[in-house]
Amino acid sequence: MSAHDLTQKHKLLECIQCGMCTGVCPVSKKTNLNVRNYMREAAVYGELPRHPENELWSCTTCATCEARCPKEIKPYEFLIDIRGSDVEAGKIATTLRDALESVFKNGNPWGRIRSKRTEWTQDLAVKHYAKDMDFLYFVGCTPAYDPRAQEVAKSFVTCLEKAGISFGILGTEENCCGNEVYGMGEKGLFEHLAEANQKLFRKYDLKQLVTSCPHSYHTFKNRYETRNFEVNHHTQLLANLIDEERLAFQKKLGKKIIYHDPCFLGKQNNIYDEPRKIIESLPDVELLEFDRSRERSLCCEGGGGRMWIDIPGPRLAEARVQEAIDYGAQILAVACPFCLSTFEDAVKTAGVEDQIQIKDVAELLSQTL
Amino acid sequence: MQIVWTSTLHSYMPIFVSFLHPLQQSQFLFYCCLISLSSLHAGKALNRPILRFQSSSWVRTVSRTGKSRGPEEPRIGVFICHCGSNIADIVDVKEVVDFASKFPNVVFAVDERYVCSEPGQALIRENIRKHKLNRVIVASCSPRMHETTFRKALEAEGLNPFLLEITNLREQCSWVHMHEPRKATQKAKVLVASAIAKATLLEPLTPMKFSVTPAALVIGGGIAGIQASLDLANIGFKVHLVEKTPSIGGHMAQLDKTFPTLDCSACILTPKMVDVSRHPNITLWSYSEVESISGFIGNFKATIVEKARYINKSLCTGCGTCASKCPVKTIPNEFDLGLGTRSVAYIPFPQAVPLIYTIDKENCLYFTKGVCRVCEKTCPFKAVDFNQQDKKVEIEVGTIVIATGYDLFDANRKPEYGYKQYKNVLTNLEFERLISAAGPTGGQLVRPSDGRAPKKIAFVQCIGSRDILTNPYCSRVCCMASVKQAHQAKEKYPDAKVFVFYIDLRTFGKGYEEFLWRVQEEGVNLVRGKVAEIYRKPKDENLTVLFEDTLLGQTREMDFDMVILAAGLEPRVDAQQIQKALKLSMSPDSFFLEAHPKLRPVETHIAGVYLCGCAQGPKDIPDVVAQASAAASQASIPLIQGEVVSEPTIAYVDKELCCSCKICESVCVYDAIEADETDEEKRAKVNEALCVGCGSCAAACPARAITMYGFTKEQISKQLAALLTEPT
Amino acid sequence: MTEFEPVIIGLTCNWCAYAGADLAGTSKIQYPPNIRIIRVMCTGRIEPEFIFDAFRMGADGVLIGGCHLGDCHYQEGNYKTALRVSITREVLKSLGIEPERVRLEWISASEGKKFSETVKSFIEEIRRLGPNPLKGAPEA
Repeated sequence: MSAHDLTQKHKLLECIQCGMCTGVCPVSKKTNLNVRNYMREAAVYGELPRHPENELWSCTTCATCEARCPKEIKPYEFLIDIRGSDVEAGKIATTLRDALESVFKNGNPWGRIRSKRTEWTQDLAVKHYAKDMDFLYFVGCTPAYDPRAQEVAKSFVTCLEKAGISFGILGTEENCCGNEVYGMGEKGLFEHLAEANQKLFRKYDLKQLVTSCPHSYHTFKNRYETRNFEVNHHTQLLANLIDEERLAFQKKLGKKIIYHDPCFLGKQNNIYDEPRKIIESLPDVELLEFDRSRERSLCCEGGGGRMWIDIPGPRLAEARVQEAIDYGAQILAVACPFCLSTFEDAVKTAGVEDQIQIKDVAELLSQTL
Repeated sequence: MQIVWTSTLHSYMPIFVSFLHPLQQSQFLFYCCLISLSSLHAGKALNRPILRFQSSSWVRTVSRTGKSRGPEEPRIGVFICHCGSNIADIVDVKEVVDFASKFPNVVFAVDERYVCSEPGQALIRENIRKHKLNRVIVASCSPRMHETTFRKALEAEGLNPFLLEITNLREQCSWVHMHEPRKATQKAKVLVASAIAKATLLEPLTPMKFSVTPAALVIGGGIAGIQASLDLANIGFKVHLVEKTPSIGGHMAQLDKTFPTLDCSACILTPKMVDVSRHPNITLWSYSEVESISGFIGNFKATIVEKARYINKSLCTGCGTCASKCPVKTIPNEFDLGLGTRSVAYIPFPQAVPLIYTIDKENCLYFTKGVCRVCEKTCPFKAVDFNQQDKKVEIEVGTIVIATGYDLFDANRKPEYGYKQYKNVLTNLEFERLISAAGPTGGQLVRPSDGRAPKKIAFVQCIGSRDILTNPYCSRVCCMASVKQAHQAKEKYPDAKVFVFYIDLRTFGKGYEEFLWRVQEEGVNLVRGKVAEIYRKPKDENLTVLFEDTLLGQTREMDFDMVILAAGLEPRVDAQQIQKALKLSMSPDSFFLEAHPKLRPVETHIAGVYLCGCAQGPKDIPDVVAQASAAASQASIPLIQGEVVSEPTIAYVDKELCCSCKICESVCVYDAIEADETDEEKRAKVNEALCVGCGSCAAACPARAITMYGFTKEQISKQLAALLTEPT
Repeated sequence: MTEFEPVIIGLTCNWCAYAGADLAGTSKIQYPPNIRIIRVMCTGRIEPEFIFDAFRMGADGVLIGGCHLGDCHYQEGNYKTALRVSITREVLKSLGIEPERVRLEWISASEGKKFSETVKSFIEEIRRLGPNPLKGAPEA
């Protein structure tokens, strides 16, 4: 896309150069990414921004820039389009290329073979989804393959079983949702995935989908054009089950818990209350709040393909973990497999394993049942 | 019923009905009746009496012939305006002139560069004389622009001004079809043809004159309302000034210093407030609201509700004993925006006008718990009256000035700044109260969290302004207000670091830019970049401000111990009440809309109603005062003239045709058309003083007995025919 | 054959829709020249017969523009119009004229953009419906 096309598409001429998008940009702490400058170069001088690769790829697509913009411009979408032209030209880090290739070949970005997608279920009796079931549990690539995130999937399944919900998974038929592929600018592959997934969902006459991953949630909900099924995040479903008193708490937790809002669940989809409701209803728990929470939450740097490219510099996740400790929290609760992964890493690199644990809300809930 | 309808719908019945299947025919006639009755449904829904049919009158032989159409054969002159290049660049004006001159009654057609100009008007007058024109068509800009101008030209030649027809070739043709000159020219021809068709049926009309009540109503007692009231009163008219709160003064009374001169706001305002209270021509209705307004220019009736203060205003001397004895002293003071406290019996601020105490019923121990009455016992003048009731007063005025002011943007709507969440984040208006010597801290600029002097202060611009999600417009005053406040902060604490974060610094007024330079020299740091977020570190009331210095292209974080948000100006939340009561228009920003942005800036579309101050849009004190004087001057014109002329385009009942069905009576919301009690058959009659010329009655009349002057059925029918005939 | 160019009659009130059309002009917001406007003081003046006349004389569509409900300069004129127009549509239907050929829109004096959008979308709709079915019918 030319600078002119980008200017038209993203309405860049409306920008008043206020600096809100850049001021709030979480990755500005580590790179010189300045999306306002990029937009100005395209809109005023008709030039496609050419800057060091680590700037462009440091964007986590957290969308805080969009939330703050007084002119309703979406700066991160503009960056994704610039990434797109780099991807097309083959100017892309090998780790990212491998991830994209793996999505194309195996249906997941983790370079794992398709047949291992259900490995996490081997000790559990999870059924394959059938038309008469209430929910399809869309596991997602990370909870399906990542050993740490698998615990979240297992815990969620435990909760569903205890509540007597009829649900199934797609097993090895399940495919990458495409959210990160979109964020990496490979929109052609994204369209292909979206079409394949829609076809699969239609085959099963899907009505209700629940997923543990806010990134899948966001992409199904907002980027799949002809969606005719309901999308739920697992925190929404679990909060409902608690409301309907379908879960019986057996054990006390006795912890101070602080909750971190994932960007794709909070800022991008306004789901703030359900995860908090779940934590507050757990027996013997104190819910703490970050100063910067809800629409002001920080980004953990997990989105926008950042799981597959390392950008040197201070880690936001480490700062967030330290902040949680400062608040006196014993558990940092999350609701996203990427947050889980980045925070787990941060706990290790900062050497604070003995001070704080990272847990998904579903894990906390299943512990008390 | 069928007979009546056959006559009223005679023009198309033969065509339509003859095509129809018999079943459809009866259905069609049924609907025709429904249309007429729909007026009744409207009446019913609006709680108007349901009418009784007087069956004998329904069937009446209708005669439509012999109605006079003016004394002579129409001799039409057509003047087509180039409007410089505005029309002529798109529309082929010469072609339109040729087209127009071929119509039978057109005796003269010409084009002119600017018909509205002096030579243009002279051209009209000259040709009225030369060609004995008795109808004039001007094809130019919107009739909303120059109708009056051209009517005067006709009048000057002894021609009735209502023999003029304007057709809109600019706003509704050349300006909106700029890329299709051919089609625009064809459309222009059709529009001119339509005007010619209407002009042949124009009739001379005579306006009515009404006397004017020599008094004005000013709504809102801020600086705008104060200035307008004083001006009107000084001209010599009776003024009713209505203020919602217990004292006049408005937002200006809350300010400490004014930019760029640094005058003390109270010092320049309070003498004016006292003038208001002493002026023999001003009746001050404080703690009062306008409940309803009816009537029209020169003859408005307003109902004012004077809220109960529970203190007799003629006995209270403002001594303050009630307030000092009142046991409840911890009510957040609205005037200090909750930064200070007041007692239940209170005046908002020491210089309040009128100096009468008010008992706040919501928080009074007597009203809430039935105990106390200490104020009643201790008042030396026995002014406390717990039995006082709200009082309704009806007043009559000739003109109305709206000066209802603004509301400050609620900074809570921008969660990224943590307003109300962080104690040391304040708004610009709160800053004024803090730094005011009469304020809650006695003029000490201190942090609300710990009472310490701030060492590093940030001013954050455009809170809620220039933002599609809240208010897209610029609030105008905040840049200068913040620069002035930055100066004041620096003045109090020369060692403090003061930063102003802005998108664009707008210093447009007299002496404003110079003031900015001065403040810059004083060491105030100006940073181009809107603050993106404010957060607080755990267990600390200090604030971290996130921003990009857009001139450096660097994103930074800085710690401050106080942040002032430059909250913008918004329309009053209750402005819609007045808008609805007076049928005023609002601009897209929800401020009141002036009649014309350049040429009629203080008038509204409602004759006799004028605007000033921030009710019309954000502006600073010099602009408010100038506009208030302008509004007062405009509002005094009808009062001085002593009579107003009404539009003669009103309804007229042809008694020969009226069937006394009273449908017209049920549709008229102004009670301007009623059964004539003096008439044997109780046929309808129009009250010319009350008729506003909307035409609803004419549309509803099943007997077509009502003529709506200026917009008659025949005229519109001819216009339609002309508009639907393709020009050659 | 040339493309069908609909002829639309606009009946607008002086205070809102006509002023909105003027604002579209002042702001130079372009729209196709297919609409021809007659100004009345209030939409309450509009008799159903004006609409029938327009179709009888060959209009392809009639756009009625008034103030937003509650904002009528004459308090309630637009409520009456709304009622009259809905019944007029029923009559048109029984006459074989698509009721969609009459559109009622509330357009304020500040909504120049809305005026032009309305005209554009109405023209498109009439284009889809095709010419007035009465066109070419013999005059009695």
